[in-house]
Amino acid sequence: MLIQNTKCECGHQNPVGTVLCESCGKPLFEEAAGAADAPLEMRYDGVARRSQKQNPQLVDRVWNFFSSVKIAIYLIILTLIGAAIGTIFQQESTFINMTTDEEFAKYYKETYGTAGVIYHALGLSHTYESWWFRGLLVMIGASLVICSLDRVLPLYRALNKQQIRKHLQFITRQQVTYSGPVAGDATAWVDSFKQQLKRRGYRVHQDGTALLAEKNRFSRWGPYINHIGLILFLLAVLGRSVPAWHMDQYLALYEGETRQIPNTNYYLKNEDFTLELYDESELASNQKGKAVPKLFETKATMYECVDACNDPTRDPVLKQVEQHPIQVNSPLSYGDLKIYQNSYQARVRFISVNVTLTDTVTGKAYGTFTLKADNPDRVYEVGPYTLRLNDYFPDFGLDSESRPMTKTRDPNNPAFAFTIKGPELLPDGETYLYFPMPNEESKAYQAILNDYYVKNGQSSGKFVFKVENAMSGGKMVNVTFSEYTTFLNIRKDLAMPYIWVGAAISMIGLIMGFYWQHRRVWLRIDDGTLSLGAHTNKNSYGLRADVAWALAKAGIEVPPKSLDNRRNLR
Amino acid sequence: MGKHRKLVQYLILAFVLLVGGYAIGNSLFTSSAVLAKGDKPPAFKLADLDNVAHDWSEYEGKPVILNFWGTFCPPCRAEMPALQEQYEKWHDQGLELVGINLSEDQITVERFAAEVGANFPILLDRDKKTERAFGLKQYPTTFFISADGTILDVVVGGPLDEEDLAPRIERIMNVRK
Repeated sequence: MLIQNTKCECGHQNPVGTVLCESCGKPLFEEAAGAADAPLEMRYDGVARRSQKQNPQLVDRVWNFFSSVKIAIYLIILTLIGAAIGTIFQQESTFINMTTDEEFAKYYKETYGTAGVIYHALGLSHTYESWWFRGLLVMIGASLVICSLDRVLPLYRALNKQQIRKHLQFITRQQVTYSGPVAGDATAWVDSFKQQLKRRGYRVHQDGTALLAEKNRFSRWGPYINHIGLILFLLAVLGRSVPAWHMDQYLALYEGETRQIPNTNYYLKNEDFTLELYDESELASNQKGKAVPKLFETKATMYECVDACNDPTRDPVLKQVEQHPIQVNSPLSYGDLKIYQNSYQARVRFISVNVTLTDTVTGKAYGTFTLKADNPDRVYEVGPYTLRLNDYFPDFGLDSESRPMTKTRDPNNPAFAFTIKGPELLPDGETYLYFPMPNEESKAYQAILNDYYVKNGQSSGKFVFKVENAMSGGKMVNVTFSEYTTFLNIRKDLAMPYIWVGAAISMIGLIMGFYWQHRRVWLRIDDGTLSLGAHTNKNSYGLRADVAWALAKAGIEVPPKSLDNRRNLR
Repeated sequence: MGKHRKLVQYLILAFVLLVGGYAIGNSLFTSSAVLAKGDKPPAFKLADLDNVAHDWSEYEGKPVILNFWGTFCPPCRAEMPALQEQYEKWHDQGLELVGINLSEDQITVERFAAEVGANFPILLDRDKKTERAFGLKQYPTTFFISADGTILDVVVGGPLDEEDLAPRIERIMNVRK
C-alpha cells in the first residue's frame, strides 16, 4: 500500500483508506472518483474500514481476508454449490438401518451404479457432515462477524458526529442536488426551509446558513442486525453436534410392547395401533382398489424408570409420565423429547395364547393356562398335572446336525417343550412339544416329534394341546397377537429455540433495511447562492419528492426530476 | 482504543478457531460405531444364568475373551465346544472367557449351554443394549482383550476353532498389565 498523505485541506487527519474527509466531506481522491463532478461514492459514508492499515501483520492479513465482501460472496457461492451437490442422491443420515461404511458403499453402488460409487467415494453421501462443508459454514460465520464489525463501527462513528457545514464539492456531487439564487436573508430562508423538512419527519441541525437534515438513520443498522441473527442461527446449527443437544433415533414397537428409549431413562409402550383406510368411494379414480391409509395412530404411553434402572437382575420399576395418541404431526411430547409417528408395518407378532390341556381319547379338558412368547413362565399347574417348560424355541427349525434350534429371536413359529407330571403318567414325567401356530409345517413337526416321544417311551400320548377358537367382536379371545409394528421417531433438539430467535432477529434486521431508507439533506448558502445536496441509500424518488416539496414550500418551485444529479449528467 | 481493538481482534479470531476446530474436528474424528482393534470396550452390567449381576470391572485388568453369541446363529452354535476347550485349558492361567448372549429368553440360553456343555460364564444382554454399545453388525463377534484393557483383536463371524483361538489367546496372555 502506498503511503498516502491523508490530511484534508480542512485540517482533519483522516485514517488510511478514507474516501471522503471525515470532517468536511471533501473527496480525497479526485482521480479515483472519475470525472470531477461525478456523483460521489457514499458507501459507509466514505470512512475507512477498520482493517485498512499501512503495515498489516499476519493476524491483520487473516482479518483482512475475512473482512472482504468479495471473499464472503465466494464463500456463499461455494457453500450453495456444496449444498446443492448434497441433494443429488439420498444422504446417509436419512437411512434408519445402516451404520457402517460398507453398508453405505453397497447401497450406493446397487441403487445408483457408477455415479453412486463415485458419489460415495468422494464423501458426498454425507456432504453436510463433511469437514469441508462445516469449514465453509464456519468461514461464512467468521466473515459475517468480521465484515460487519469492520464496517459498522466506523459507520456508527461517522454518523454519530456529522459536521453540519460540508465542503461545497461534497454537496454538489451528491445524487440529488439543487443550486440557485436565494433572495433576502439567508438565515431566515434556511429557518423556513428547516420548518418544512421538520414537517416531513426530518431531524434538522442548523449552523447559521448551513443545514443538515436526516431521517430514519436506524435503517442503516438493519443489515448488521440481520447478521447478528444469522450468526446466532449458525451457532445453533453447530450446537446440534453436541450430543446432549440433539437426538434423532427410531424405535420399532409391536402392539403391547414396552421398550427403553436408548440412552435415556424413559420407556415407551405401544398400547394399540390403528390403521384406517380410505373408503372406495373416497378414492380418486386412479386409486381405486388400492389400500390408501387415511389415518395411522399409535396409542402410546411414556414411562420413566424410577427404580432398578441399571439392575440387570430385576425388571425396571416404571412410572407413567405421559400418554398420547401419536399421529403424523401430532407427536407425544414430554420434557425435551418429542415422539413422532414415522411409519408402520403389517407384521403379525404372536404375544400369548390360552391353551387347554385336553385328553386325546375322551376329549376331556383338564384346564387352561397362558403361554407367553417372551420370557414364558417355567411351571404351570393344570388340573392335577404339573407342566414344566423344558425348552423354548421362538422360531423353530433344525440346525445342520438336526438339533432343534430357533432360527431368529422373533416368535414367528414358537415351539414349547414340556415335561408333564401327575397321576397315571410315567414316573419320570412325559415329554410333549407344542406349536401354537396353526400352519401346516409346524403342525406336521408337532405330530412327528410327539409320535417320536411315544415310540421312544418318553410319552404315553395322553394329552393334546387345544386352543378354543372362540371369537368375540371379530377378535380371537384366546390368542393375543400384534397386527402392526409401529415405527416411532424420537427427537430432541435443544438448538431449536435459538434457531427461531436467530431467524426472528434476522427478519427484524431485514425489515428495518427493506422498508425504511436513511435520507439526508445538506445545504449551505454562500453569497446568496443556495447549494443543496441530498443522499439516500435507496429510493431516491422518495428523497427527490421530499426535497422538491420542501423547496416549493420555501418558495422555490422545481420539478422533482430535475434534482437528479445522475440524470443531468447523462 | 488501539490496544483494545487488537484484543477484540484476537478474541474473535480465537473464538472462530475454537468453534471451527470443534465443528471440523467433530466431522473428521467421529469414530464409527463398530469397535475395532485398539479401542477400549464400553462398560456393561449384565445378569448371568443364576440371575447374579456382573460388572465389566470384574474382568478388567485380566486377559478376557468376550464372545457375543446366540442360539439362533449357526456359527455361534458351532464354535461353542472350541471355546469351552480353550477356556478349560487357559482359565487356570488367568484367562477369562465370557459369552454374552444376544438378548434371548433365558430358558433358551440355559438349555443350549447345558446341551453343549458350556460352563464358562454366560451373561444375558437385554433389548440388544450391550450389543449396540459394542456396535455389533454380525454374529458371532469375538473380542480379544488384553490385561491393559485394550481390544487386541476382533473376529467377526465364525465358527472359531483351535487354530483361530490359540495364537490370539497367546497374544492377549503375553501383555502385562
